Amino acid sequence: MNFRETVTGSDLTREWKAFEARAQTLPDDHRAAWEQIKANLFPYGDFTGRNLTPILDGALGLLEESAADGQSAHEVLGDDIPGFCAALAGGEGTRTFRDRRREQLNRNVARKLSRLGG
Amino acid sequence: MSIRDIVEGKKQWRAHMARVKALPPDYRIVYKEMQTYLFKVGPLDLPDGPLLPGIVDFFEGGAATGKGVLELIGNDVAAFCDDLIKESPTRADALRESIGGRSNPAEQ
Amino acid sequence: MDDLTEMLKGTLEGCVLEIIDGEETYGYAITRRLNELGFADVVEGTVYTILLRLERNGLVQVTKRASGVGPPRKFYALNDAGREQLARFWAKWQYVSSRIDKLKEGGG
Repeated sequence: MNFRETVTGSDLTREWKAFEARAQTLPDDHRAAWEQIKANLFPYGDFTGRNLTPILDGALGLLEESAADGQSAHEVLGDDIPGFCAALAGGEGTRTFRDRRREQLNRNVARKLSRLGG
Repeated sequence: MSIRDIVEGKKQWRAHMARVKALPPDYRIVYKEMQTYLFKVGPLDLPDGPLLPGIVDFFEGGAATGKGVLELIGNDVAAFCDDLIKESPTRADALRESIGGRSNPAEQ
Repeated sequence: MDDLTEMLKGTLEGCVLEIIDGEETYGYAITRRLNELGFADVVEGTVYTILLRLERNGLVQVTKRASGVGPPRKFYALNDAGREQLARFWAKWQYVSSRIDKLKEGGG
């Protein structure tokens, strides 16, 4: 990825287009699961969503493999797609807004208590 | 909500904050930071629900035994807050509901 | 033993139910009991969040009593639903621990 691509995000558009092209070839229920995964991963994205590309790539790969094996999307992902996505995002070291707020809370407490001289 | 309810609510809120003010400084600091956090991520009924007064009850009890606040609740204040609101619907859940996601594990 | 937090998640509630089942008791005493048992990392705040959930889910009977120090204390006793929950906990625990033992012995 060169500098211009990083700044303009054009590399990102290209990658997302490639994802959509791959998703188009999936059976219907796998494609529906793909849409759900994207929606559920969205909150874990950073400003550009760049951190999500390897995660999406992995999830799409899983759907492709299961489609090829003749497994339904439900068989592979189970009932809890939000939970699946949280595990995916967590495994990649991404942080949600909630995680940032947690850290902020603990930092504020530590700072203010230390000022107290306790 | 009638004007009377609002006035009563304010009176209760002021009484609540007066109790917070009477806590030892370390308890007060942690309470205020927790409250800020909980208003962002916590349950919808936070302002008039039982959670905040419950925390003050608990803190008053802890302070009375002479313990420091982190001795009482542990160093990970955020984890304590998250345990407090586990299983109660939060703002984020309500938002997700409203945009049509089916994502509250408690409902599945 | 250190670093049990993750592993204890989900079982601490059962431990608290068991302690309350013995006799009506309060948060600080429950915490001390768990500490004496060897769960040194468990702080009062953790027990408080569990008690709050038990109360919310209608598994305990709560009585406020005056205490020697500080504000009145909340005492907890199991009701019928709480005793059922405790029985379910032990059944689940039995199941999980027997499966894990089997795995360790190489029979899984």
